[in-house]
Amino acid sequence: MNFLKHFHDKKVPATPPESTSDSIEPKTANDTAPHKLTRGGRNLIILGVASILIAILATTVGLLIYHVSGDIYLDRSRPGFLPDEEEVEQNIEQKPAEYQFESSGKLTPETIDEYIEHYNKELQAIDAYEKPFDENVLSDEYLGIPSDSD
Amino acid sequence: MQKLHKLLPPLYCITLMLFCQPIVAAHAISELQSAVIVDNCTAIKDSLKKVQQDDSRTRVYLGGYYETLLSKFVTPFNLRLVENSLSTASFVENQNLLASTRSSFMSDFVTYQRELEALINIDCATEPSAFYDKLVDVRARRATVRGEVTTIRTLAGDHLNLIQTLKEQPE
Repeated sequence: MNFLKHFHDKKVPATPPESTSDSIEPKTANDTAPHKLTRGGRNLIILGVASILIAILATTVGLLIYHVSGDIYLDRSRPGFLPDEEEVEQNIEQKPAEYQFESSGKLTPETIDEYIEHYNKELQAIDAYEKPFDENVLSDEYLGIPSDSD
Repeated sequence: MQKLHKLLPPLYCITLMLFCQPIVAAHAISELQSAVIVDNCTAIKDSLKKVQQDDSRTRVYLGGYYETLLSKFVTPFNLRLVENSLSTASFVENQNLLASTRSSFMSDFVTYQRELEALINIDCATEPSAFYDKLVDVRARRATVRGEVTTIRTLAGDHLNLIQTLKEQPE
């Protein structure tokens, strides 16, 4: 019977004790209104916002480097700069075979001839671009602007 | 005091010249040119965009070929000359010139493209004079790039001539 007495002593009361005028603050999170954020929820939002800000910052820095380094002007994946089908075919036809001259070994007339042969192919590929960066394409005449003397 | 009075007119002239220099340096366009630029603004811009695209393509391919020339041909060849105890001074000089001109070409192309982009962004329908001034600048930049491309081609040819000279030398 002794243990029963102990049980009754520890028993949780069925009704909560009446709050006194001093206890205004809620004691647990369950006592607050359901729409109020918990600490974990608030941290999750901070984490999300911080992640977005870091992503924006990283993208901005990346784009800045992309512009400043001049890589943008070599990037042919930009809209309007993509190579067309004809260009791709032409490129395959013109591209010289892969060749690398060995930096070590004996230099014989045969080796030199082979080198010259491959070197000339490379030069031919360069010469295929007739008048690269020709000045005429920016002339008044080409752009349809009358010259001073007109 | 009288000396100071005598000095004042030349000082005024010098000051005036200094302040007016940028205005004089700017290219003045005729009314006809201005009218044509305003009327054909869209067509001119389209032409410039086409030039920009073509230049981008040329730069990518030529840049690749120049890189190949240097890294797979000229540099290993010169190393082999050293290994075979052959005279390399003129070859090395040519290689250095080739490398430095290629480097200049790469940076000047970026500068040229920036200027060209700025030119395309100018509203030629409302600012024909500013547009033409920029066009003159862009032409100068393009001429620099063109000059470097020509120099690289000449240096690449010189390398071949040096090899021919080497071949003709007695053992």
